[in-house]
Amino acid sequence: MDQAMQTAAPPVPQPARKTKQNQGYWRRFGVFYLMMAPALIILLLNNYLPMIGSVIAFKNVNYQVGIWKSPWVGFQNFDYLFNASDAWKITRNTILYNAAFIFLNMVVGVAFALMFNAMRSRKAAKFHQTMMFLPYFLSWVIITYLVYGFLNPEIGMLNKTILPWFGAERTIDWYTEPKWWTVILPIVNTWKGIGYYAVFYLAAIIGIDQEYYEAATLDGASKWRQIWTITVPLIRPVIIVLTLLQIGRIFYADFGLFYQVTRNAGSLYDTTLVIDTYVYQGFIVTGDVGMSSAAGLYQAVIGFVLVLCSNLVIRRISKEDALF
Amino acid sequence: MLSKSTKFGKGFILLVALVLTFSLVLSACGGGKKEEASSSPSASSASPSESSASPSSSSGSGDTGAADLQPYELKIIWEGPAQKDAPAVEAKINEYLKDKINATVKLSTLDWGQYDQKMPMMIASREAMDVVFTAQWNGHSNNVAKGGFLALNDPNLEANGQKVGNLLEQYGKDILSSLDPAFLEGAKINGFNYGIPTNKELAAQGGVIYRVDIAQELGLTDQLNNVKTIADLEPILKTVKEKKPNITPLFFKDGETFNSHYLSQLDYLGNTDIDGIVRKDGEDTKVITRFDDKEYMDQLQLTRKFFQEGLINRDAATTTVGPQDAMKKGDVFMIPSSLKPGKDAEMANGINMAGKLKQIEIGPRTVSTGETAGAMLGISSTSKDPARAMMFINLLHSDKYLNNLINFGIEGEHYVKVSDNVIKAGPKAADYNPGVAWELGNQFLNYTFETEAADKWDQFKKFNDGAHKSPALGFTFDVEPVKSQVTNLINVKKQYAAALETGSIDPAKAQEWWDKEKANGLDKVLEEKQKQLDAFIASKK
Amino acid sequence: MSELTGKRKAYSSSEISKPADAAINVFFIIYTIICIFPLLLVLVVSFSDEKTVLVNGYSLFPDKLNLAAYDFLLNDWVNVVRSYGISIFVTVAGTLASLAMMALYAYPISRRDFKHRGVFSFVMVFTILYNAGLVPFYIMYTQYLHLQNSVLALMIPYLIQAFFVLVMRTFFTNSVPTELLESAKIDGAGEWRIFAQIVLPLSLPVLASVGLLCTLNYWNDWFMSMLFVNDNVHINIQYRMYKALQDLQYLSSNSTAYAAILAQNPNFQMPSETVRMAMAVIGIGPIVFAYPFFQRFFIKGLTVGAVKG
Repeated sequence: MDQAMQTAAPPVPQPARKTKQNQGYWRRFGVFYLMMAPALIILLLNNYLPMIGSVIAFKNVNYQVGIWKSPWVGFQNFDYLFNASDAWKITRNTILYNAAFIFLNMVVGVAFALMFNAMRSRKAAKFHQTMMFLPYFLSWVIITYLVYGFLNPEIGMLNKTILPWFGAERTIDWYTEPKWWTVILPIVNTWKGIGYYAVFYLAAIIGIDQEYYEAATLDGASKWRQIWTITVPLIRPVIIVLTLLQIGRIFYADFGLFYQVTRNAGSLYDTTLVIDTYVYQGFIVTGDVGMSSAAGLYQAVIGFVLVLCSNLVIRRISKEDALF
Repeated sequence: MLSKSTKFGKGFILLVALVLTFSLVLSACGGGKKEEASSSPSASSASPSESSASPSSSSGSGDTGAADLQPYELKIIWEGPAQKDAPAVEAKINEYLKDKINATVKLSTLDWGQYDQKMPMMIASREAMDVVFTAQWNGHSNNVAKGGFLALNDPNLEANGQKVGNLLEQYGKDILSSLDPAFLEGAKINGFNYGIPTNKELAAQGGVIYRVDIAQELGLTDQLNNVKTIADLEPILKTVKEKKPNITPLFFKDGETFNSHYLSQLDYLGNTDIDGIVRKDGEDTKVITRFDDKEYMDQLQLTRKFFQEGLINRDAATTTVGPQDAMKKGDVFMIPSSLKPGKDAEMANGINMAGKLKQIEIGPRTVSTGETAGAMLGISSTSKDPARAMMFINLLHSDKYLNNLINFGIEGEHYVKVSDNVIKAGPKAADYNPGVAWELGNQFLNYTFETEAADKWDQFKKFNDGAHKSPALGFTFDVEPVKSQVTNLINVKKQYAAALETGSIDPAKAQEWWDKEKANGLDKVLEEKQKQLDAFIASKK
Repeated sequence: MSELTGKRKAYSSSEISKPADAAINVFFIIYTIICIFPLLLVLVVSFSDEKTVLVNGYSLFPDKLNLAAYDFLLNDWVNVVRSYGISIFVTVAGTLASLAMMALYAYPISRRDFKHRGVFSFVMVFTILYNAGLVPFYIMYTQYLHLQNSVLALMIPYLIQAFFVLVMRTFFTNSVPTELLESAKIDGAGEWRIFAQIVLPLSLPVLASVGLLCTLNYWNDWFMSMLFVNDNVHINIQYRMYKALQDLQYLSSNSTAYAAILAQNPNFQMPSETVRMAMAVIGIGPIVFAYPFFQRFFIKGLTVGAVKG
């Protein structure tokens, strides 16, 4: 790729030849620009032009005079972020939850894949795979309904049926007690996403050359040993890359999970408020676009650094899988 | 690595070029639009002095001057359930307005509980709207700070690049002549009115509304008649719970509790989201926190007790269903409510439960900024013709036919007349019954339902007399100097208020809330509030 | 690794012991139940009698079954059908447009002889790296494009997703032989024809899997409706479900029939809990039916283009 760039780069001395060459270039590749045009326009609208809007973070917006004419306020909009006792909490929540999700997706995903691979009945394996994948297809809205069916304080499955079974003395107000959500959210997230990761890892496992196993069996290695000495080491690059890709996004939380599934209950904020919901909240509740843009910018900049770092690491491990 | 960086460089230059080109194109578009926008109102408001003559002379029934005005469609937004027959009512209104102010209307609504979320977004998106319901309790001062509403009595007001002047004086003469000046005075923000208050009761009183039919069935009527304090409700609610397990004895939600603004007598000085209060029923102007108020803390304890006894719906902290809607569902016995004479009958008519509701007043009658600015019609800063919007508001305040048309629908269909000023539900009442007369114009023009007291409006006047005025009446806190602290305080409040005030969590958590407020700049906010309030009081003397 | 998804596995050499296999089977049976149980619960509750639900709570074995909830929703079918229509339209049109645009972008940047491919790849990658955030995006869509209350606002935001474009690019680079392109060019075929007749047919697996992911994105989206739709008309089925869960009033105030029922029977109580769940069932329905068909393609396609090329 880089080579192609360099051969095309050197300037051509004679202007006459240059135009001729340019004409040839446009005749040959002009159509490419046409092909890319629709996507480029969409990118501009969705991504690039809004980037200009980041200046809102440095303004005290008054719509009546318009965004561009609103006064500049420097870093004042960021004040609240760093003065708040919450800023730390929100950052912590975002990162810890994502870390937990990444860890669970990896460990449970690999474990499930190994078990699928070990099952003797191909049919049974297929069936369970299918079932496990089902939650991945459901929207967060639907999952909110499902969770609500369990957690509804008055008539939910947990309070009305399951807790009494276990002889619990009191029922729990799930939507006002934040501590439970540090467990609920990882469970829900893993439940929804694990099908995807398990299948991914399974594909990598199946791709391993059978000869390795045959040789190991001849050597008398137990199945358990084969897993640790052959399977896991061989799929390690896939694990690492998939995990790093997620780490690059560790500063971005899944808005659907944190907004919908928690029903955006204020009393849960201690353990459920993450940057994405905070930005949305700031935008909607206080209506202060300056401050919520500031929070958004904070997220974007740190997110940017994190993606760069994880990409750097991926490049070291497997150049092909790096984004750039 | 080197070749890498050159690649980045090129990409970046290209990117910048692209962005620049498009932003140029975009700004060109924007410019074009502005011109177009400013050209349309200029036709209609070219001669403000001339057209200003029309509404004032047209008050009542006259209709001069409409011909001078270009046709214009006014988008009206209020808070409440969507109405199926709105198009039919629109058509009727348009017919009538043609000769009055040559305008047509588009009626739209934002559901209860949706307004707080949607209005800031609609303002941020510069959605075209003209006449918009706004109130202190649903973010008025925030929306004003963002430039969402026009200052209606600003002599230097500019809109769409044109000077339009003092709208209220030019086009709102009937409002000025009919509305108690205390309303406009009390609703001011930094000296300007950003909304025209509904002409209704001025005083406020809190209490509860309950289902008469259930009470009678359970023989609770006498007990209910003797209720004086919130604590008196306990045995009654317990009986309901025992005998009617399917009925929620008392329905609460965030902001609709024993500590709601109408029951707690706390004047939050302009924005209920921000701590720092004086008592409405006192004279003290020292700004304190809600935690310093003994009654507030006692009520938390009491609410918690009710909650633990199962007298309050258990999802109170999270539900977004409003009390009125909960009542409408049919499985609720009692709700907290702000009260005025005949509120029970008014609500009953609004939710098709005529005759089934009754109210109990608890606590004193008071007047504070919260009440004067408790229901207003503002003019959006996106209105293409604010003058016309003001003419329309003026008509809602002065024109009996229009006022009743928008509030009760078409005669013979949505309501039928019993006598001159008394009506009852018509055959299609369910298709148009906004039930929000208190949002729209002048309530003293409203017909009364036959289930309501015939002297409702006299009762209103009496209700206003002798109400205790909050020492901070007319003051609205300007958050600008402590904006970042306020934002954090609001976030902290979201975390505790709903759960504490509905009794969902232990009142001991109030201390945690207080500590957190302190950690987020409470003292600074209190200090600023005190400073502004002192200045306000000094300026009044 | 790509084509190996499943079939070519030789078990003989690596079979595990029967007890271990049984243990794994038991584990997965339990897990499968965990996956299905919540859906079943919603389904059963939607068919339960409201009073039973209020007294006994959500249960798989209700004392009394009835259709009251669906009866109630049936009165409101116009709205539900409209929301369905919007969801289907946005999903189908959006996925097709999205696939076409992304493939057309991915093809040039997969061509080794295209000088600016690095630049344009970067233009794509940068959107992953840096995100302008919610507020500027919102203001762009509403103040400049004026897309509020329009189906376009539900569609355009998801049209181009950089990650998918990069996946396609990798696939084009690796799976479409350069010689084939060269020979087509010698035969005088233009780039459009090469793209349509050679590249696309060879890339069906990646198109299928990206297409499925797009479909899923569109169908399951509620956020754009929440941001951009203020009227009660242009809302898709997911957002309608969200609103029904948030606020039951939404169902009753929009149900024209509700008022009529009340007029006839003033003591009518809306079967709110069961109606809520019936709404969920109506929203879940198509996904569950389409699912067995989808997931086969999906699992196949998933491993084709994604991370490893």
